[in-house]
Amino acid sequence: MNPTAGAVSLGRRRSLEHGLDVLAVLVSRDLKLLYKRSALGFGWALLHPLIQVCVFVLIFRGFLGGKVENYASYVFIGVLVWGWFQTSLAQSTSLITSSRALLRQPRFPLSLLPLVTVAVRLFHFSLALPILVALLWMQGIRPTSAWLGLPLLIAIQFALITAFALPLAALNVRVRDTQHFVGVTLQLAMYLTPVFYSIDSLPARLGRWLEINPVVPLLEGWRSILLRGEWPDPGRLGILACASAVLLVLGHRIFVHQSRRFVEEL
Amino acid sequence: MNSSPLIDVSALGKRFAHRSASAPLTWRTFLRGWHQPPRPPFWALRNLSFSVRAGEMLGVIGRNGAGKSTLLNLLAGVIHPTEGRVSVHGRIGALLELGGGFADDLTGRENAIVAGVTAGLTRREVYSRFDDIVAFAELSEFIDEPVRTYSTGMRMRLAFAVAVHTRPDVLLVDEFLAVGDLAFQARCRSRIAELRAGGCAIVLVSHGMGDVRDTCDRVLWLRDGEIAAFGSPAMVTATYEAEMHRRTLHLSPTIPSESSHDPDGFPGKRVGSREMEITSVRLLSGSTVRSGAPFSVEIVYRGGRPALTPIFVVSITSEDGRVCLDTNTEAARLSTERLSPTGTIRFTIPRLELAAGRYFANAGIFHRDWDHAYDHHWHAYPFSVDGAPAHRGVIAPVCQWDVPTIAPAPTPVSLSSI
Repeated sequence: MNPTAGAVSLGRRRSLEHGLDVLAVLVSRDLKLLYKRSALGFGWALLHPLIQVCVFVLIFRGFLGGKVENYASYVFIGVLVWGWFQTSLAQSTSLITSSRALLRQPRFPLSLLPLVTVAVRLFHFSLALPILVALLWMQGIRPTSAWLGLPLLIAIQFALITAFALPLAALNVRVRDTQHFVGVTLQLAMYLTPVFYSIDSLPARLGRWLEINPVVPLLEGWRSILLRGEWPDPGRLGILACASAVLLVLGHRIFVHQSRRFVEEL
Repeated sequence: MNSSPLIDVSALGKRFAHRSASAPLTWRTFLRGWHQPPRPPFWALRNLSFSVRAGEMLGVIGRNGAGKSTLLNLLAGVIHPTEGRVSVHGRIGALLELGGGFADDLTGRENAIVAGVTAGLTRREVYSRFDDIVAFAELSEFIDEPVRTYSTGMRMRLAFAVAVHTRPDVLLVDEFLAVGDLAFQARCRSRIAELRAGGCAIVLVSHGMGDVRDTCDRVLWLRDGEIAAFGSPAMVTATYEAEMHRRTLHLSPTIPSESSHDPDGFPGKRVGSREMEITSVRLLSGSTVRSGAPFSVEIVYRGGRPALTPIFVVSITSEDGRVCLDTNTEAARLSTERLSPTGTIRFTIPRLELAAGRYFANAGIFHRDWDHAYDHHWHAYPFSVDGAPAHRGVIAPVCQWDVPTIAPAPTPVSLSSI
């Protein structure tokens, strides 16, 4: 083997190892910082979605519960999947503006920072999954082979969130209104996402419009797997996966291009 | 030693949008920005070319706002040049904002691991060097305490320890000697010397002229984003100090004029804008002066104009750059308003009461407000002094003692001494 090629592949392997270490170290730092000095610790990560679920179930069961089976689990899935999406994006906007020390670190791979935020929120998401499974069990639902598809759904959602998080984090450096704009938009977007209602319960004309929401196929995938034990529709998820991949490449390009000016802009 | 430079900078220029425009945009200014002509940008750095080889240490000096931080940021690669090129090979270690990234609620250990990994090490590498890092920082008792309980000095020690244990090929240092107590500073210096001996190229930005003079191989003086002087530490720091000293004594609203670095003829020993020139300097008293004998210098200049009214400076420095005498025509209340365009200046000290040793005579012509040097010849004219009484110190005048004594009593000792 040619020695330079060996050196290059060694360098690649090292930089991959380093990239993973950066992710691991920063995710663990962020988690420690969130909960280290709180008595309840990770309990807070669970309390937040649980309260949301309780509120939705208490208020909306009367209107919508009749049309949707296992309404509590249905809402719980909605709250978790949407929550991961919303909190990641809301936090990623202020990511670069609050990491001044890392911006000045020579050759630091800044484009890993949005991944850290998305991964921290994924960790919270995963913490709540056992409670969801327990709830499903109580409602008489047992795991099926379709559950093997869940990691794929998580991977697609991870890519989708990161694809949005990269350009938003970069844009907020130049235009600080971005973080407020994103916060407000996400709050509105929750109502345009079938978190606590079902698209079928809406007029068909309105429902069609909601289909452009990228979180909709993900929610349907989760509900199809967990509530009905069926593999989700591969067509729509495939389109979403491809779109996420394209957006991810594009978002990464925008981020890297903008990142050349971060230190100057701050 | 590796002969290709680790840092190579050529024709580097960095232009910033106007200072006030660096504030973040709001939507309003963002939208309005398309219609309004941009405010004039300014060049933070221009026309910089230099290189630093393995094992070499470059000092960067200059007043605040001269472009030193911009240069460090460009070398670190966190901002990018507007024109020209910066190339830095190998791993870059930066001692810039020490401890700025530490999280208060995490322990010293947790923060050190984060700092090591974000500085480019893998976790395995950090773990294998961890004991050395803690020992160097002298924090073994406190390493598992939260950083919020640390003093500023402890934080900086930890940050410094992590940074120097990343084994960088290129180290960028901003005022490193402000870290910790004297003992720790000494260890920092020796650690930096070790890295340098191991082939690390170092760029040190400092206001401490003593450190720059003692540690650097070459010094780059930045003035308003351009090279004011580039050369040996003794020459550049002495000229810089002279100019800064004078600036503080003679604050003037004059905008500094263009000056350039032109070492022709006196490689490494001449700086100035050359609006006036010193064409020759002669030591009339010869290359060896007897202590207490007269000393005189003849300076031939040209390029004088009535508008310039320059100041002539003569100084004597020892070999290590220590200033023994620094005087000028302004201090002597000598007007140069009617100076002839070319001519010869003679400077005489009737009794040169210097200690024996080797010295340099330096001569310079400066702007009337001490704004910058027109021409300054530094350490180009050596001479030695001999025949001085055996005192210690810089001056060796004729001395006289008067010792009060008690009434003399004849003793064998005093007899034997007679």
